[in-house]
Amino acid sequence: MNDFSELENELKNVRPLPPSAKLFTRVEQGLANVAGADALPDKVIRPDRFRINWLSMGIALGAAAVLLIFAHIDLKHPAKSVPAVVSITPAPSVASIAPTSQFIPAGATQVVYNMRDEGLLFPSGSAQPVRRWRSQTRETLQWRNPATGASLRVSYPSEQVELIPVSGQ
Amino acid sequence: MDNVAIHESWKTSFSELAPGLLLFARQWVRSGADAEDIVQEAFVKFWRRNHNIDNRALLYATVRSIALDLIRRDSRRARREAEAYSEADQAVEPQFEIANESQRLVGNAVDRLPHEQREVLVMKIWNDLTFAEIAEALGISQNTAASRYRYALAALKKDLRPQ
Repeated sequence: MNDFSELENELKNVRPLPPSAKLFTRVEQGLANVAGADALPDKVIRPDRFRINWLSMGIALGAAAVLLIFAHIDLKHPAKSVPAVVSITPAPSVASIAPTSQFIPAGATQVVYNMRDEGLLFPSGSAQPVRRWRSQTRETLQWRNPATGASLRVSYPSEQVELIPVSGQ
Repeated sequence: MDNVAIHESWKTSFSELAPGLLLFARQWVRSGADAEDIVQEAFVKFWRRNHNIDNRALLYATVRSIALDLIRRDSRRARREAEAYSEADQAVEPQFEIANESQRLVGNAVDRLPHEQREVLVMKIWNDLTFAEIAEALGISQNTAASRYRYALAALKKDLRPQ
């Protein structure tokens, strides 16, 4: 009980005036005259749930429209994109018919990082001298699978010896 | 509620709610006839739209909206009501069933309350609305509704029981 409980009880003992019998008749007529009542100006604040329903309906319609747009794009994407990729890609004909597991050569490099002159010598059984050059290289070979985009790279060192004949004067 | 015109349940609801609704409407008009006009229009609209009669916050918001619209529609009436408000201790017509002098003093004290306090007091005491319902109907917070109610009771206590 609060400090005002006595006062609250006192207030509740004072009763408001009852409605007149005429008011009941007027309300009854108003309810009966539904069609006429529809013409009354709409001044009543709409309930929140009606506003929310309209707002929700608008949001739902907007979301549905966005989904339809995306669905439209997704449905058309495979049909349009595949021919476009094929037409603009200058892929070799071998690649287009190759199985997806096959790699094709993509490049080869040879880097000479050392070359040494080892002098003149006479090869066995030869009367003409030759100059021997020894070169050390690193060779790299690359393959690529055009279907999957995977690549394979092999790199190894190599050594090459060249015998160059020396012309006599 | 297929046909509200022949549906008799409105009488039960209206009988229970009408005294409080009329008192609530009288916060804006000093004439009992004007208050009945407001309550009639509000109740018919509310009932016709098949709103749940338990949604009292909406019902009282409807009454309030129509009462304020009535005042706006008739500027002369508005001036008259404003004059009546300024002479709050001279109510044109009684709002309560006065059984004795003590109740007459209570009624007069209620009339002297600031409007925003009297509005909440009427909804709470004579219409049994919760603070949540009052807040929703008036578009204020529950704390504000509760504060106005306490201020109203404090003012009444000071007015009726001066120490």
